[in-house]
Amino acid sequence: MPRIEEVTQQLSNKFKDGITGIDQPGATQFFADIKKEKVKDICNEIIKMGGRYLVSIGYDNIARDQTLGMIHTFAFDRDNIFCGIRTSVPEQNPVMDSITPDIPNAGWSEREYIDHLGMKFSGHPKPKRLILSDDWPEGLYPLRKSVPWNIQPPSAEGVAYQLDECPEGCTVVPVGPYHPTLHEPAHFALYVDGETIKGCDYRGFMVHRGIEKLCQTQLTYNEIPFVAERICGICGSVHATSYAQSVETAGNIKISRRAEYIRTIMLEIERVHSHLLWLGVAGHLIGFNTVFMHSWRVREPVMWLGERMTGNRKTYGMIVVGGVRRDITPEIKQDILNVMKKIEEELIVIKNAIVGDTSIHKRTKNVGRITKEDAIKWSLVGPVARARGVDIDVRRDHPYAAYDDMQFSVPVVDTCDVWGTVLVRVLETFESIHIIRQALDKMPDDGPILTELAEPIAPFKHAIAGVEAPRGEVVHYIITGEENRPERWRVRAPTYPNLQGVPLMLLNNELADAPIIIGSIDPCFSCTERVQVVDIRSGGVKVLSKAELEAFAKKK
Amino acid sequence: MLANLAKKMFSKSLWVYHCNSGACNGCDIEILNVLTPYYDVERFGIKLVSSPRHADVMLISGAVTRATLPLVKRVYQAMPAPKLVFGIGSCTIGGNMWFDCYNVCGGAEKAVPVNYFVPGCPPRPEAIIYGVALALGLVDKKAAPIELKQMEFPIDIYERNKAWEERNVIYKLLDD
Repeated sequence: MPRIEEVTQQLSNKFKDGITGIDQPGATQFFADIKKEKVKDICNEIIKMGGRYLVSIGYDNIARDQTLGMIHTFAFDRDNIFCGIRTSVPEQNPVMDSITPDIPNAGWSEREYIDHLGMKFSGHPKPKRLILSDDWPEGLYPLRKSVPWNIQPPSAEGVAYQLDECPEGCTVVPVGPYHPTLHEPAHFALYVDGETIKGCDYRGFMVHRGIEKLCQTQLTYNEIPFVAERICGICGSVHATSYAQSVETAGNIKISRRAEYIRTIMLEIERVHSHLLWLGVAGHLIGFNTVFMHSWRVREPVMWLGERMTGNRKTYGMIVVGGVRRDITPEIKQDILNVMKKIEEELIVIKNAIVGDTSIHKRTKNVGRITKEDAIKWSLVGPVARARGVDIDVRRDHPYAAYDDMQFSVPVVDTCDVWGTVLVRVLETFESIHIIRQALDKMPDDGPILTELAEPIAPFKHAIAGVEAPRGEVVHYIITGEENRPERWRVRAPTYPNLQGVPLMLLNNELADAPIIIGSIDPCFSCTERVQVVDIRSGGVKVLSKAELEAFAKKK
Repeated sequence: MLANLAKKMFSKSLWVYHCNSGACNGCDIEILNVLTPYYDVERFGIKLVSSPRHADVMLISGAVTRATLPLVKRVYQAMPAPKLVFGIGSCTIGGNMWFDCYNVCGGAEKAVPVNYFVPGCPPRPEAIIYGVALALGLVDKKAAPIELKQMEFPIDIYERNKAWEERNVIYKLLDD
C-alpha cells in the first residue's frame, strides 16, 4: 500500500468522526476536512507521524457558507507527500484553537489571519499585530472579499507598536528600520546584558505590498507569474515556478518535458547567482570586504548570461502557466557551459581562500548555535536547517520540474552554527553547476516549450506546490476560482519560518555577532512580507566567577 | 537650473545613502552591484555610506508602503542640505503595479521630493551610474557621448515619440 494511503487511513482510524472527508487529487497530496474542535489533536498527530509544518492558509468563504476557512499544511519529506488540514469557523464567532503552543512556527501564520481576516485563536501566546501598519484601523480586514483591494484608510498619528518588555537588567539596542546591516526596512529590538544578547523583538513586515489581495481580485492566471517574480528580486523565478506548478497541479495541466528542463536550468542559474550574492553580503557583514568584492565579481557573468538568455538581468519573465516563454538554443547552451566553467574555476579559488582563512572561522564558528532538535521544532528550512544537520531538500524529497532525472547530492553539515551555513551554500553552488550541466546534456532536443490550455481551470480546486529556493523552501498554496483568477493564493517564502528562529539563534551571543547571525539566514523581507516574533528567554545558570567578572566589567 | 545647481553643489565626491522603501530587492542588489569591481563607482568619487547624516544623495527604491512612509520622511529630514533624491526603478515612479494596493501609498514622490528618476525593473547598473553621473554633469568629463551633453534626462521621451511618428508616416507612404 502506498504510504499516502497509510497516512490517510491511520488518521481516519484515529479520529473517526473528527474527519468529515478526505480528498486525494493526486499521488502526492491529500486534503482532510476536519471539525474545528479537533484541529489541535490532528496537527499534533501529524507531527508525531513525521510531518513537518509548512504554513497555514486562511481564506474568506463568507459568500458561500458564512465561514472563514483555515488550512494547516504539512509535508512528509521521506514519502513525498503534502497534506492540508482544512477546517472552518463561523463568521459571527471566528474562534479556533491555536496550534502555536505545540508548533511554534505557526505563530506568524495565525497572527497574520488575526490581522487579515479577523480570526481569533484561543491559546495563542502572542496575539499582537503582525502584518498591517500600526495606524491601520481595527476591525477592517483587508483579505475579506467585502473589502476592496485599493482601500486607503486615513493615516493616524501617534500610534506605535508596543515592543515586548525589556527583561530585568537589560538594555535595549534598536537595530533598524534603516540600519547599515539591513538592506531592507525591519526593526529588531535587541535586549542586551553587557555585550550578551538576552532576547529580541522584531517588528517588520514593512514591505508588505498586498500582492496576494491584488492578484486575487485584479489579475488573471497568466498575469500572476510576472507579479510573482516581483515578490522578490533575487529569487523571482522560484516564486513564478512555484505559482505555475500549483496552478498546473490544480488544473491538471501536463507541461512538456523540455519546458521542465528549461525551468530547472533557470532555477539553478538563479541559485548560483543568489549564493554568490549571499557570500559577498556575509563577507561584508563580518567586515571582510575582499570576499564581497570577489564573489560579486565572479557573480557578474551570471547576470550577463541571464540578460542574453531572457532579455533582463533579473526578474527574467521566463515562466508562465503551461511552460516557459523562451527556448534555449544551441548557441545559448554553449554560452551557459562557458560561463559555468569560468565560475567553477573562480569559485574553487574563493572556496579555498574562505576555508583557509582564520578570521572568517573566528567570526562564524560557534556563532548562532542552535541544536538539530530546535531546528526541527521551529521547522527551519533550507541551508539554515541543513547547517544544523536536518537533511531536507525539496528538490530531492518532492521532485518537481526535471529534478527526478538529475543526480546531485544535498550537502548537510552538523556544525550547527553560521560557519555551517557558509559551507553549505558554497558546496551547493558547485552542485548547482553540476545540475546545470546535466540538464543541458539530458534535455530533449525538441518539443513545445509552452502547452496551450485546452479548457478553463475548474474552480475551487486546492493544490500545494513547493520549490527549493536558494534560501530554503518556497510553498505556494492555491485555491482556484472563477473569472480566470485564483480564489486564494498564499505565498510562503523561506525567510518566513527562518526569521522566526532568529531570536533563538541570537540568544546568548555577542552583540557584535548580531548582523552576521541575522544575515546568515539570508533574510529577504520583501518575500516574507510580514512581521514578527518575540521570544525572551532567561539566561542560563552562570558560573559565579564569570558573573562576578561581568558585574565588575559593567561597573567599570 | 537643477542641473547647474547640482553641478555646482556636488562637483566633488558624492556620498550616497540607499533607502529601501518597500522594494523587492531587485533594485537594491543592482545598487550594491555598482560598487563591485565591474562597475566600481568609487572611481567617480561616489561612495555608499551607511548613515543619512553623511549623505549628499539619497537613492530611494521601491513603492512607498504605509509602514515606511513616516520613516522615509525622517530619513530625508536627517540628511544635510543641499541634498538630491534619486528614484531608482519603476516602482518609485508612481508606484508601478502596486500603486493603489491597500498597504501602498504610491511612488516615492508621496514621501519625499524626487529630483531624478532612473526607470527599469530593475534598472541596469549602467543605467544607475549613467543617471547619477548625467544629473551631476560628471559624464561631461568621462563617460557620455557628446551629443547627449544638453539633455537633462537619460531618455527624452517626447523627442523619441516624435521621431517614431515621423518614421511611421514614411512607412505608411511606402505602403500606399
